[in-house]
Amino acid sequence: MIVAERKPLAEILSNVRGAGKVLVVGCNTCVAVCMAGGEKEVAITATQLRLALRKEGLEPQITERSVERQCEREFVAELGEAIAAHDVVLSMACGVGVQTLVEEFPDAIVYPGLNTTFMGRPEERGVWSERCIGCGNCVLDKFGGICPITRCAKGLLNGPCGGSANGRCEVDPENTPCAWQLIYDRLARIGQLDRLMDLEPPKDWSTSRHGGPRKMVRKDMVL
Amino acid sequence: MGASDRMVVMGCAHSAGIARDEWAAEGCVLPDDIEWVSLPCGAGLDELHILRAFESGADRVMVLVCNDGACQSVTGNRWAEKRVEEARRLLEEVGIEGWRVAFKTISPTMVTDLLPSIEAFRSFAPAQDEASQEGTS
Amino acid sequence: MTQGVTKSGSRLERLLDAGTFTVTAELGPPKGTDLEVVRNKMGLLCGACDAINVTDNQTAIVRLSSVAVSALLCREGLEPVMQMTCRDRNRLAIQSDIFGAVTLGVRNLLCLTGDHQRFGNHPTAKNVFDLDSIQLIRMVRRLRDERVTEGGDGVEGEVPVFIGGAANPFGDPFEMRVIRLAKKVAAGADFIQTQCIFDMPRFKEWMRRVVGQGLHEKVHILAGVMPLKSAGAARYINNNVAGISVPDAIIKRMSGAGRGQKARDEGMRLCAETIQEVREIEGVHGVHIMAVEWEEAIRPIVEMVGLLPRPE
Repeated sequence: MIVAERKPLAEILSNVRGAGKVLVVGCNTCVAVCMAGGEKEVAITATQLRLALRKEGLEPQITERSVERQCEREFVAELGEAIAAHDVVLSMACGVGVQTLVEEFPDAIVYPGLNTTFMGRPEERGVWSERCIGCGNCVLDKFGGICPITRCAKGLLNGPCGGSANGRCEVDPENTPCAWQLIYDRLARIGQLDRLMDLEPPKDWSTSRHGGPRKMVRKDMVL
Repeated sequence: MGASDRMVVMGCAHSAGIARDEWAAEGCVLPDDIEWVSLPCGAGLDELHILRAFESGADRVMVLVCNDGACQSVTGNRWAEKRVEEARRLLEEVGIEGWRVAFKTISPTMVTDLLPSIEAFRSFAPAQDEASQEGTS
Repeated sequence: MTQGVTKSGSRLERLLDAGTFTVTAELGPPKGTDLEVVRNKMGLLCGACDAINVTDNQTAIVRLSSVAVSALLCREGLEPVMQMTCRDRNRLAIQSDIFGAVTLGVRNLLCLTGDHQRFGNHPTAKNVFDLDSIQLIRMVRRLRDERVTEGGDGVEGEVPVFIGGAANPFGDPFEMRVIRLAKKVAAGADFIQTQCIFDMPRFKEWMRRVVGQGLHEKVHILAGVMPLKSAGAARYINNNVAGISVPDAIIKRMSGAGRGQKARDEGMRLCAETIQEVREIEGVHGVHIMAVEWEEAIRPIVEMVGLLPRPE
């Protein structure tokens, strides 16, 4: 899933402060799961905006809405009327959702309410961590199902580096395990330690964002 | 509290609610400027409720839940405390001081202590220099 | 490696292949263009060691580039070991800088992964890590021996370099440490400089396994040592430098030594003792002295262990 966090309120206020009517739109998929932009978070943000702006002597109309997924035309289409009736849209979706609104409603002023961060999983309630950076050429088969590109701070393919200590990454030992310790333990567990002797050649980054913004087309699906 | 201030008490039905009912049965009445909201359990508390209380005109909110070990949902009281901390953070973001939300655990038998606890928070004001640091009038 | 065929013609290669116990030391460039700093350090190290490592934005702190300082050393008739990390440059820039360094006289390269920029003075920078140190070693070897770039084009001209890598016998997982050395050797490393030794038993165990796999016959290993300035420095390294732990016994010894010059003298003595001890270990062909911002300590230490003067 995509993980995001609500932006600091001050940043949001700097964008919406002057608007008379603000439409706050949430998304009920990824950002609802990571408790950043779902219905509840829309309600909290809208309430905060009303409280903050009232203190400044302003009384804008803050409307709360949510859609199933903000990245899909079919789901955001229903927002057309509401968007037209407001001065500014505060999107509480991930960056994809914000841009979808802009593409589908080209005259709308849309501001992001979240900082979109990574593709990851919930490890436990309240904790999400990064698992995939979308390199476009998955090598999880070589490393026991643990991605060194994403989870190693240096993205080493022939790790670990000299800074691995007690199974923790030197960059942030408190929060980050050493990916290569995880890979070593995992390969040992499944009897594939010999993979570690192979010299993994330099990565072909052309399939990743480094090769340019990407597009995937299923020609068989396009009429 | 100031003359026109309002306070909301969000009390868990299993502890604060029972104490309050006992107290009311003895003929005691809450002051006019205090509104009582019953929570089915601390686990049912959401920071949004607290924010909305302030939006509706409350100047302080007090959350009363069961003591540790006594919660019927086991961790509902601790959950409520987390929600209070989050509410304080969200309020600070809009320039409302976090101390305006109080959290206390009580037992259902704390009948005679109930009003004093509420009154203590009602009359609480932070030290003058703290208040001026917060930039409020 | 000892077949009488030189790969780079470097002094370091020549001495190691001849079986001389070789001494290398580190020179840290200034945080800018102040060449006076460089000249001072060159003066301190000249004649005190066989080759001088020039660090590359060490700990992600921006300093005068290792290519430039290495070239300056060559101009002064000194022998640099140019350090290159993978943090700041992609494979294009690395190859280009290697070509440049070689044309300016550099013949020794130390291929490193590099510290993450979070530790340095530009923590908001993007990092590169297009390659890791093992891929870098292999790339350099192919430039030299096959005259082909990573992209597949031929190289116009020779790339005579003596290829080095780093090894950390003290990091985790321990089992990986010898595997990684083997990988670097297989990739083409000619020499290895280890992380600094405070935990002698662990170093000896690592060397035992290295020798057990015959790796000491395929690569020259120089044992890393670091003189401690004070007990405070010892504690700092223990707590803050990932991959190094300083035993209590050493911290106690430094505490007991007193302060200021007394502490520094003890630190140098301790370093000299470490060097004497590693000289006796099978497979150790030299020592690499890292006296961070304390280049003054190098000559006295080398003298203490009876390794002065250095051979021609």
